[in-house]
Amino acid sequence: MLQYTIKRLLLVIPTFFLISLLIFVVLNIAPGRPGATGGAGQGEQQNQEQKESYRIFKEQFNLDKPILINTRFSLTRDEVRRLIEVAYNLDGTALARDRIKAQEALDDYREYLVRHLVELLDDPDPAFQRLVVNQLSVSAQQPFRNDRRGSEERRQRAREENQRIGAENLAVKQMRLDADASPEEIAAMVQAWKDWYTPDKQERYTFTGREKLSILLLDTRFAKYWGNLLYLDFGLSTVDRRPVLPTLLGKIRYSLSLTTIAVLLAYTIAIPIGILSAVRQGTRLDAIVTVILFIMFSLPTFFTGTVLLKLFSEGDPFAIFPTGDFQTMHSDPWTTWQTFKDIVWHLVLPITTYTSVSLAALSRYARTGVIDVIRSDYIRTARAKGLSEPAVILKHAVRNGMIPILTLLGGLLPTVVAGSVVIEVVFNIPGMGQYIYNAIQLRDYNAVMAVLLASSFLALIGILLSDLSYALVDPRISFD
Amino acid sequence: MADLESAVDAPVAADARQEDPSYGEIVWGQFRKRRLAMACLYGLVGLFLLAVYAPVLASNKPFIWQPAGEPVQFPWFISLFDRTFFENQVDLFFNTLLVFGTIIAIPVAVVFVRTRNRLRRPRRAARSRALVAGIGAFLLCFAAVQAFPVQKQKEVFPRIQAQLEAAGTEVRAVYPPLPYSFRDGDIDQIGQPISRAHLLGTDNAGRDVLTRLLFGTRISLTIGVFAVALYITLGTIIGSIAGYYGGRVDALIQRIIEVVICVPSLFLILTVAAFIENRSIFHIMVIIAAVAWTSPARLIRAEFLRLRNLDFVSAARAVGYRERTIIFKEILPNAIAPVLVAATFGVARAILIESTMSFLGLGDITVPSWGQILNTGRTTSDWVLILAPGFAIFVTVSLLNLVGEGFRDALDPKLRK
Repeated sequence: MLQYTIKRLLLVIPTFFLISLLIFVVLNIAPGRPGATGGAGQGEQQNQEQKESYRIFKEQFNLDKPILINTRFSLTRDEVRRLIEVAYNLDGTALARDRIKAQEALDDYREYLVRHLVELLDDPDPAFQRLVVNQLSVSAQQPFRNDRRGSEERRQRAREENQRIGAENLAVKQMRLDADASPEEIAAMVQAWKDWYTPDKQERYTFTGREKLSILLLDTRFAKYWGNLLYLDFGLSTVDRRPVLPTLLGKIRYSLSLTTIAVLLAYTIAIPIGILSAVRQGTRLDAIVTVILFIMFSLPTFFTGTVLLKLFSEGDPFAIFPTGDFQTMHSDPWTTWQTFKDIVWHLVLPITTYTSVSLAALSRYARTGVIDVIRSDYIRTARAKGLSEPAVILKHAVRNGMIPILTLLGGLLPTVVAGSVVIEVVFNIPGMGQYIYNAIQLRDYNAVMAVLLASSFLALIGILLSDLSYALVDPRISFD
Repeated sequence: MADLESAVDAPVAADARQEDPSYGEIVWGQFRKRRLAMACLYGLVGLFLLAVYAPVLASNKPFIWQPAGEPVQFPWFISLFDRTFFENQVDLFFNTLLVFGTIIAIPVAVVFVRTRNRLRRPRRAARSRALVAGIGAFLLCFAAVQAFPVQKQKEVFPRIQAQLEAAGTEVRAVYPPLPYSFRDGDIDQIGQPISRAHLLGTDNAGRDVLTRLLFGTRISLTIGVFAVALYITLGTIIGSIAGYYGGRVDALIQRIIEVVICVPSLFLILTVAAFIENRSIFHIMVIIAAVAWTSPARLIRAEFLRLRNLDFVSAARAVGYRERTIIFKEILPNAIAPVLVAATFGVARAILIESTMSFLGLGDITVPSWGQILNTGRTTSDWVLILAPGFAIFVTVSLLNLVGEGFRDALDPKLRK
């Protein structure tokens, strides 16, 4: 058993890695990029400042990196030349779509371009030289170091480093040429860039075999994301530019308080109902319970929620409960008791909805569980040796019949924490479900990613727990 | 005595009765004994017919249109294949079914009735020939409909009729019972309550709710059936490979399944749906299928693990069948039953997922989906718009679940009556 547990625990790590890979790829190949409005534009006509801010945005969220594998070190000079030609439509044949693509590539390739751009400075055409110079002044800027985590000392060092990088970037940024630059100015600037490309820079922008290997796998969006993830850093929200994790943790309590109560309630109601209709199998009571549960089972959550909301809170015909939200906004200080009452009052309808939906499935499980057990030999034995009927049912049948339904609890873990999108949207509860719903619509990648990862992780743990609890409560099952 | 008589009357029928019932016939016989499940099956067939013949019941194009002094026109028939009127492929498919499907169904049905007294082998051969021919003919028709699009100008007939009659021209026009379009609203009719003209009132764009519900049946059934067909196929193939080969292949596939299971499916479905621009219901089907294939795969895998060491498989191997034949022709037919039961429940689940998506505004916004109507009801707080689609979903899902349950019981030898 211990061996099995350890084996399963170790398997969690690669499985979680694969899950993150799957989610990451799915999210990243989806069309449409966050903040892409006013992004990659048409050559030089584009507003320089806008372009710059989009570039920084992409850098901040690693959107300028390839998703899984980075082969940009293998770019050749001719490819770079071709990119510049297409992006600025030098031969006049490039399609708008290709131009945008080439422009974006030039923006994204950054340090991998520098070496080739310096070589391209030797081009005889001054107009082309000017474009190369301007591209260099963008590509030679270095990315800032992440200073959001680590010890205070490390953060301090990162900040100093960033100040140095900032100063260098500023200098590089100014080494550019306007469209009306004279040939002399261009020649001077080309010389300035050649002087800038000192041996230490040469070393920085040429890649050795080992560097190439690390670039291939590590200078990618996925690797950067995982690098942050190891520090439990889920990145910044692209919407409010604040770290995702604290926001997420703040949402959990809403979902948790809703779903824990609902799940407990569903279990406490479902188990007796299930037992009762199993014991009275085939009677009219069983038939009625089965029909009612079946109806509840077939009603969609959003329908039940909407109907309850309209019936009991929108005043059609009753206006007993509030129309949503988690608690009342108020300015005067409330006692804990008042707050508690208020929250409970708000949660009655969502909890009823949630319970009614899960109740049906649960009690059917309970019923089948008990029915399976009641047919078995040891129940007959228990009856034969003269035990009273309640003792037979409660002590022998129920205990074993409840095994499947108890192990279901593990599977509920992700739902309990992540809440239910539908219920939270209908009742306007600011929990995780509503958070991901809004994040999805705003294309807040990091937030969506964080919620998906968190609930997958919980699902993984939940499956593990339910497998283990199976072995714990059912002595017939052994994994060794 | 009765047996003897019928044996004399129809010797072939007697032969047919002497055959041992096949597994399918046993299950079907068991299923027929369950009255509720049978009734629900008929209900589903009725729902399907409603979906197919929806334009007969509701369309704003008249069957017959003849202003005084002009030749007779048939706008309704032309509109069936009019891309500007029925923009969606689903509607085109159902309209093809309505026109050509009905025509093709007749000879196929005749073959079925005629062969009912034959022995199993010739009967099955004849019936499957007829089915294949029928489906082929239908697909040809559908391809033809795709290849020759009818493009006709949009005309709002009831309004033209009113104008013509105001101008004093007599118009002879025969409309379907519900002379409304499922798509185009009437600005004068916004938010109408229940009346004789609009049996379920109108929505906030002035569209007849009953008409939209009727056409919503097409969307729900299509999504349910096609999504499930897609993921059952996928899951069956993957599951049989895992179960048949075992070992490393199985371990690898198990890992993949584990990964997919852990990802919260509704979150993922909503996310992917939201990131697709101009999503259509085909996207939605593919998304549902991509998430749901794991459960048939696991079922099939378990069955294969059980069956692959049985004698008939060894026999097939000894005879020298190819592996593909053994997997798909020998083992699969014996392993498919639980998957088919799961498929019935799966259709119900897919319909629920789709309506949840469109309720949250992440479905195909161009089609009259039930979830979308319900969402309109939620925002406009109109009882009819909440209850009517809710009831439609409830009925469809219940029918499917009950049929699924009947099917499952029929397969269970312990419950055999």
